[in-house]
Amino acid sequence: MILNEMVLPIIVVLAVLVGGAYSVAVMDRVIATRLGAPRAGNPWLSPLTRGAWLLVQQANVTEAPDGRAWRLAPALYLALAATGLALVPWSETLVATDLATSVVLWGSVEALATVVIFLHGWSANAPLALIGAYRYVALGLSYLLISMFVLIGVALPAESLQLTQVVMSQEGLWNVVRQPLGLPLFLVVGLGMTFWGPLNLADSTDLAGGTASEVSGPPRLVWDVARAAMLVAFSGIAASAFLGGWLGPWLSGPLWMVVKMLAVLAVLLWLGRVVPRVAPERCVTGMWVVLLPLAFVDLIWAGVAALWQ
Amino acid sequence: MELLTLFIILLFALGAGWLVQWLPQRHSSMPTYPQRAPFLGGGSPDTHAWNRYHVRYYPMTLLLIAFEMEMMFMYPWAVVYVEEGLKAVMEMGMFLAILSVGIVYAWREGVFKWQ
Amino acid sequence: MAVSWLHRLAGLTPVPVFPALGMGGDVVLRRLAQATNIELVGSPRHASVLLVAGGVQPDLLEALRRVHDQLPWPSSSLWFRCEPLPELEDATRIDDIEALPGALAAIHRELLLQRRGSSPRLLPDNPPNPWEGLGDDGHGGEGMMGGVPYGRPMAMNMHDDIRDGLTLDSLTFRIGPFFPAFPPGMSAEVTVQGDLVQSWTTQSLPHLVALDPVFHDARQRSVPIARLELARVRYHLHRLFHGLRLAGWESAALHVLHLAMRLTSDSRADALRRRLERYGFFYLAALDGGVLEVEQARRVGGPASRAAGLDDDLRSEDANYQRLGFSPVFHNAGDTRARWQQILAEIEQSLQLAKQAAREDLHTQNSVAIETPRGPWSDERCPTDASRLLDEIIPGLEWDSALATIASLDIAALSDWPLVEDKPLTRSEERSS
Repeated sequence: MILNEMVLPIIVVLAVLVGGAYSVAVMDRVIATRLGAPRAGNPWLSPLTRGAWLLVQQANVTEAPDGRAWRLAPALYLALAATGLALVPWSETLVATDLATSVVLWGSVEALATVVIFLHGWSANAPLALIGAYRYVALGLSYLLISMFVLIGVALPAESLQLTQVVMSQEGLWNVVRQPLGLPLFLVVGLGMTFWGPLNLADSTDLAGGTASEVSGPPRLVWDVARAAMLVAFSGIAASAFLGGWLGPWLSGPLWMVVKMLAVLAVLLWLGRVVPRVAPERCVTGMWVVLLPLAFVDLIWAGVAALWQ
Repeated sequence: MELLTLFIILLFALGAGWLVQWLPQRHSSMPTYPQRAPFLGGGSPDTHAWNRYHVRYYPMTLLLIAFEMEMMFMYPWAVVYVEEGLKAVMEMGMFLAILSVGIVYAWREGVFKWQ
Repeated sequence: MAVSWLHRLAGLTPVPVFPALGMGGDVVLRRLAQATNIELVGSPRHASVLLVAGGVQPDLLEALRRVHDQLPWPSSSLWFRCEPLPELEDATRIDDIEALPGALAAIHRELLLQRRGSSPRLLPDNPPNPWEGLGDDGHGGEGMMGGVPYGRPMAMNMHDDIRDGLTLDSLTFRIGPFFPAFPPGMSAEVTVQGDLVQSWTTQSLPHLVALDPVFHDARQRSVPIARLELARVRYHLHRLFHGLRLAGWESAALHVLHLAMRLTSDSRADALRRRLERYGFFYLAALDGGVLEVEQARRVGGPASRAAGLDDDLRSEDANYQRLGFSPVFHNAGDTRARWQQILAEIEQSLQLAKQAAREDLHTQNSVAIETPRGPWSDERCPTDASRLLDEIIPGLEWDSALATIASLDIAALSDWPLVEDKPLTRSEERSS
């Protein structure tokens, strides 16, 4: 029993954490190459060589960093990604943490991600890193509500805040069809949580790498892996909430999850490369004035659809 | 049981994240002072970077708190929604309508701009 | 110690290169952006090789030493068309741009296979200020905040904010001349509060900008309009490349670069315009700031002045341009967005002109005064450095729009020497420029 309920889920979560981060790196490279970036060599090998290089590179220190917080931030970000992944149901029974309130727990992961990313920039004690951190908070506080409303939307037909219930409520029709605004809005949240592509306000080019501009060597490796792992955790939640999770014909549940997560990741990574970085003020205004009202519409739509069924 | 599993996963990830940072270079010495200076393209700062920050979006953060309070009510509401039926729609619709007016007001006041 | 498998594996990465650009060094950015085994990085912390490209003026050498020392080990440097610092005895110099990616890769591999040691640190290992002394933590002052803990004072310089007058700490730092988001060579003393620039003083001027030799020829004699216009397009595309890279949009920047590489009089910019518009560059990116008054726009000249509503363009005084039906395009807003729209419109217009001129084999008539992509150029009037303008327009901008504004403004003075894309500078040219 303990094997099935504890050891197996833990192994699954940790394996997906590592394997997922690796496949994000591979997919991102393949997409970059497709979009015209000149990259030679084997895409399967390149995440490993990069990891090896970061492991042998010196870990930089700044003049007077908040040393413990600076090292804690990447590890904590990774731990948050792991928490998110623990909530993802792989089948009706294979789920590490099947709480009655797993949607709420995911909400807290989103909120804490903002704290961790700010900590990463603040603790370096360097001007550019600090600006990155400062900007990210504005973004982090803006996407939070969109995410909440959209996730409440999927909880309505399930009459539960439990992700397994949310998946089971999609047996007839997936939420991506039932609540068409939900997934696109949630994808924006995913880019925000991992400050990926157009929403990379934390580690951007105009700040020479932002919160990571002073980080090198192993801490940078953990930061990069955590960021990719968070994207994987997000795709797991998105696949469960909108794409019917483990449901699907022919394949087994966990396999369906993998396929759906990869599809979400592919869309996110593609978006990350084809859209320019959004200006901070425009980002905040857009999220509150355009996307949040759309999230309201999504919620009301979801509500009406849930009653009408 | 569920929470124990979560705790173990959390511990694993945190531990791995910390170990990877600490283990490879536990014997290396401190970088030189010039290396530790913040990167500014060859420039240098007058002071340390930590300071009492001007948070230009603070009115937005206050608006967020108003909504976050509302979220607390929305979680239980979501669970009983289908049972309650139309009444729940109306109630939350009113709630959202009032908050939307708040957003429009805040927008007009330039809350989403950097003050 | 034998080289571990980890080091071997690490040696296979694309080389992370931090470019420190000297005079005429920006050619390497365009070459390396297209190399398959090079990754250009924005911070020396992310680099394994420091590439110093082009001559560095003596007064910038101290800043170069600081950047050099900021690369974590294992790291080394490569000097392209530039004499290595005397302290670096075994540093490599290279002049052939085609051999550059290979040389960088070789250095990276040697570093990781431990056949080459890391560069020595150039600056003495001292804190910026001595800080042992008084106080609980030996920070050198009294009480909580005084003194210089770890060599620097705390940020306690209270200033009234320029937007809302709130009195809070501000950060003052000097940034550049090797900051990758700036025009090469430019440095400034900046004060920020939050992420808003409070004051800006340009300290060192951006390096002179070199034009394609055809512009120099056009001042001597009549040249084919098609060649001139294509050179103009290439110049604008190169600037757009930097602007898009700054906007974190690598794929579009590479698109621009490919267009510039394969430019003929039949090239079209439709796909580029579609891409910029469809994916929201003009709408999403930080292009709102940097409005130039007419007077300021005139000081910059060229596309920046036409983006602010002025319609002076010396091409309209050339008889053969008139035959082609040339009339200047212009925008009115004068901000960063208008400048990029202007650049894009001028690219399209020049391609159109080049096509027509190639068909009719037209040559320029007027070689007394020509319109370069940087602005009007004649014996009386030559594009001069306008970077002091930034002191007026940058304060009050958010960091992202401040940098986008700088990228959209072509403010460097014109070099007397034409652009060298393939031929190395001789030593005498290097010294005189």
